[in-house]
Amino acid sequence: MIENSKVQALDIKSIINNQRNRYPVLLIDKIVDLVPMQRATGIKCFTYNEWFFPGHFDDEPNVPGFVQMETLVQTFILTFLCKPEYSGMKTNGVSINNIRFKKKIVPGDVLRIEATLESFKRGIAIGYSESFVDGEPACRADFVVAVPEILNKFKPKA
Amino acid sequence: MSTLQNYINAFTSTFLVEESDLANLKYQDIAAWDSVGHMSLMAALEEIFGIEMDIDDIIDFSSFEAGKKIMLKYNVKMD
Repeated sequence: MIENSKVQALDIKSIINNQRNRYPVLLIDKIVDLVPMQRATGIKCFTYNEWFFPGHFDDEPNVPGFVQMETLVQTFILTFLCKPEYSGMKTNGVSINNIRFKKKIVPGDVLRIEATLESFKRGIAIGYSESFVDGEPACRADFVVAVPEILNKFKPKA
Repeated sequence: MSTLQNYINAFTSTFLVEESDLANLKYQDIAAWDSVGHMSLMAALEEIFGIEMDIDDIIDFSSFEAGKKIMLKYNVKMD
């Protein structure tokens, strides 16, 4: 957990402690820059040993779109799950908009994901992520993500 | 635009329902008014009326009609 806004990075153990995705769907390796409740920069290294490459595709391995989306959103949720009061909470996607795939990502590529949290209020997080390979844009999307544990505190009485 | 119409618009734009369906509308009557929709509605009302709602009022905001009474606490009177 991050105790204040000065901590600047998360290793894989800290990522596992702060969010609930696990193998085979934990799709970021480390966070190299982090300002809680503002932004996070994640790194994902793709090797041919990834479980999806043999199926997508056997003659032309490249990273499926849904995996790219997960790298974006998993970096995004750490902008707020790094806070002690939210750490370890499950999240649900509400919407993904303005998706753009700009580059084929192949084994050996290192993906850099830059996530920005625009607002976080009562368990609703709004923001966007962009990814890059060697400085070239790879993918981007806008997100609305809910934290059910927080939302439930605001539910109207039945 | 009247205060009431602004209040109505918050519902119709958030839940994509007709104005004629609002009178008896309650939380979870429609799929769009779930816990996420509830937060969207609260955010819309706060933006429209320039207010910040207390947690107890958000929890008590269980219907279109109940909401009108709650809005009075924030000096938002339906004319």
